[in-house]
Amino acid sequence: MADLEERQRLLGDEDRGSGPGRPMLAICDPSHLLHRLVVLFFMCFLGFGSYFCYDNPAALQSQVIQDLHLTTADFMQLYAWYSWPNVVLCFFGGFLLDRVFGVRLGTIIFSLFVCAGQVVFAAGAWTNHFWLMEAGRFIFGIGGESLAVAQNTYAVNWFKGKELNLVFGLQLSMARVGSTVNMNIMGWIYNRVTDAVGSPGHTVLGASLMIAAITCVFSLICALVLGFLDKRAERILNKEQEGTGEVIKITDVKHFPAPLWLIFIICVGYYVAIFPFIGLGQVFFIEKFSFSPAEARAVNSIVYIISAPASPVLGFMVDKTGRNVYWVLLAVAATLAAHMMLAFTFWNPWIAMSLLGVSYSLLACALWPMVAFVVPEHQLGTAYGFMQSIQNLGLAIISIAAGAILDSKGYLVLEVFFCACICVGLMAGVLLYFVDYIKGGDLNLSATARAKLSKEASTDAEKERRPSKPTQGELARLAPMSAFGLRNRYLSRLGAQIPDHCSSHLSSLAYRSVLK
Amino acid sequence: MVQSIDWLYFLFSVATENNSNFLFSVATDAYNCARPHFESTPWSFLDFNTGGLLLHSRNVTKISMHLYPSSHSTPQAGDLLHVRAVGDNDTLHFLFCSQGAPTLLLIHTNSTSSEVQVNWPEFVARNTSGSLKVEPESSLQYSSAVVFSRLLEYDDVNDTAEPTSDLFPPYDLQNFTWNPINLSEPMALLCGADASFTNGSLCLQLSVFDSEGRGEAWPHLLHSVNSSQLEVWLDGIPARATHSRFLLEMHAVGEAYPLSTIDVYQSIDDEYTPSIFKVSQWVSSVNGSSDVLGYALWKPVAYRQARPALEDATPCRHSVPWAQSGSMVTASSGLIRAFFSDPESMALNVSFGLAGEPFYNVTRFLSWTLLVGVGSPPVDSFSPLVVAIMAVGLGIPMIILLVGGIWLCIRKSKGASSTSYVPIN
Repeated sequence: MADLEERQRLLGDEDRGSGPGRPMLAICDPSHLLHRLVVLFFMCFLGFGSYFCYDNPAALQSQVIQDLHLTTADFMQLYAWYSWPNVVLCFFGGFLLDRVFGVRLGTIIFSLFVCAGQVVFAAGAWTNHFWLMEAGRFIFGIGGESLAVAQNTYAVNWFKGKELNLVFGLQLSMARVGSTVNMNIMGWIYNRVTDAVGSPGHTVLGASLMIAAITCVFSLICALVLGFLDKRAERILNKEQEGTGEVIKITDVKHFPAPLWLIFIICVGYYVAIFPFIGLGQVFFIEKFSFSPAEARAVNSIVYIISAPASPVLGFMVDKTGRNVYWVLLAVAATLAAHMMLAFTFWNPWIAMSLLGVSYSLLACALWPMVAFVVPEHQLGTAYGFMQSIQNLGLAIISIAAGAILDSKGYLVLEVFFCACICVGLMAGVLLYFVDYIKGGDLNLSATARAKLSKEASTDAEKERRPSKPTQGELARLAPMSAFGLRNRYLSRLGAQIPDHCSSHLSSLAYRSVLK
Repeated sequence: MVQSIDWLYFLFSVATENNSNFLFSVATDAYNCARPHFESTPWSFLDFNTGGLLLHSRNVTKISMHLYPSSHSTPQAGDLLHVRAVGDNDTLHFLFCSQGAPTLLLIHTNSTSSEVQVNWPEFVARNTSGSLKVEPESSLQYSSAVVFSRLLEYDDVNDTAEPTSDLFPPYDLQNFTWNPINLSEPMALLCGADASFTNGSLCLQLSVFDSEGRGEAWPHLLHSVNSSQLEVWLDGIPARATHSRFLLEMHAVGEAYPLSTIDVYQSIDDEYTPSIFKVSQWVSSVNGSSDVLGYALWKPVAYRQARPALEDATPCRHSVPWAQSGSMVTASSGLIRAFFSDPESMALNVSFGLAGEPFYNVTRFLSWTLLVGVGSPPVDSFSPLVVAIMAVGLGIPMIILLVGGIWLCIRKSKGASSTSYVPIN
């Protein structure tokens, strides 16, 4: 034992004075795969806490409502308060990481926000102060989405050009594991605490949420360890810091073309019918389909479980076939069908929820890359930031509306309301198809046509710019087509698999709302 | 079609003991307290009966209520309320009585001039049947009664909501002290309390309807002119344990076919009763025939607040109905004794709250609503709101698709014709 310690001390000494060429234990060598695997472990668990705690309210819906004597509208405020800070932070998360804090400090700060938010949230439940819980969710929201950006920046820093796709895939899986575990375990924890305390109540709820906060503390520890390891690696390897590569210019908004606005409408109309629904889902399955609470939690988390394996497969499929608009329309129509099933039938909800899970993954794979087709590269950051910002705005507003509708009109009208939201998305999708068709856009081209076009464009770009080219805008749009990797770089937001040779400019902008 | 609807209520302050042969009959001698007149309504439009055996397209042209008060010198005897709903060619009599256990009796007659006659001294004496009868007797089509007999309470220590043991001695509703029935327009309120209650009361509120519609408060049951609504609530009754839950025992009474089988329907529509997807119907039918003679209908939900929010809803369950001897019910209810000679009876328990639901003591309030009627129960349909949203939501994308498709076709064919000239140029 002592021998081992001595060896480690010696190794530590060696570390300090180590230069390239000096032998190092593989697990301590930042350039070695084994060491990167250790880093990967911490990287994966960095986001675990925030993913786990994000859906705490959904997992404990009936308990939260009962113990604190809330209405459903009040309950949905917990989700709305998470979304509010991100209406703004979507634009600045990357900027803060790149320019203000740096990735290490930034990660620690965001982890602290997540931790503090969850503790305040739990304390609010403990003391039966709902406003305190809302404040907790707000603080949690500040940290949560930005932490996902930080997590991906780390991934790029450590795995660029190597196992990056795998890493993104793993992080995505961890996100889903976090959400799923939360959905299925929180009820159990609550019951155990109830047994220990004697009777349920807000203190039991507070205690359960405090226990959930342990995952956040664990994530904070991961952030600290990662910071240390990253600093150490930088010192040893003299490597450069990689930023998020995000450039945001709000004034770009006025140059956004019509198809982009239609994509925004689809995005908002679609996602507001997914996340608030999952937030309210558990009690819905219990009350309409007479599920047991455990079964209800399981069926509620099936969307997350399905999307983990489905996302890469569907992403690959969309990539190979092209024709994104058709895929988007199909996904939206399938989601509409799923919601109508839940609204108007008593069919087993596993069917509808599985369909929802598949179509949700398909939409993510087909919709988000389309943005890269319609705006020039230099505006991509702004476009994505804007898209997520209005998505969060929509989520905040619709969450509150959904709770109020449920309180006064019940689940049928709520489901019809969600159907109406998806119908808005469907309208925008159909319009997008026609607008793209008339403009002769390339949103709905097949993959082969797209490849041909990008080949032509790249040869065009090499030539002198011909005066016959009609507008500057079109040039800007065609020129970046040469970089196939450009589109792919934003695929990372979806956790879709990207060919290695294309990921030279991988952006690390991946927000929870997209990754989920 | 409709002449007028008069809300009359007749107050008799007659010392009935002095006149042993005094017969109360409906449209005579009444002191008419002119109640507010309702506006005329287009009845044909609202006539939405779902086609019961006897009551197809029934219109109600006139509803009148009157009250047979007991003399206040005899506080033991309860009140009798008579509501007469005259249709185009039939009459529905609702009788609501607090002599003994609270009872609601529905009598359907095929004559617009049928009357209910009460021999009050005999009625109060409660020892012979026939003190309340329909005149002419041949007009009687169907009669059915619901008796609220007992209130049971149990200590649910382990929070299982299974009333197997730990039952406290039940409250017999026939031993309650009932206040005089309080009439207020279309409703009648009856409250009473057991002698052991330090405060609080059990109340029943009867509503009779002159048009199809929905109750004003949750669960917003859909009612027709052939139904009456009873809301039962416990308000502030002292619980005998901290973990008390309650059950209500009811009897359905009929001459030949009392309400017998319970059908529980799933309903996808919870717009009017949020989060409740079931309807329970206790129906009477002739030996397995699908024709329903009469029904009691409820949604399996009770509310724990007088002005409930969604969170105050608490589920309730009913037991399997069991046959009960008619004589027992006859003994407990004055109205049953007076009207039925040889009644058959079925009994049923409704229990409030499931495992894990808050106990009665939290709010000390429970309310539950029941619809009692003749013919087939009203059937819910989607509200115009839901239909409109779905129609617009699905319609607009279709229209866009259609218009866009046609426009593209035209454009294409035009484009094709113009390009066909290009080579010539």
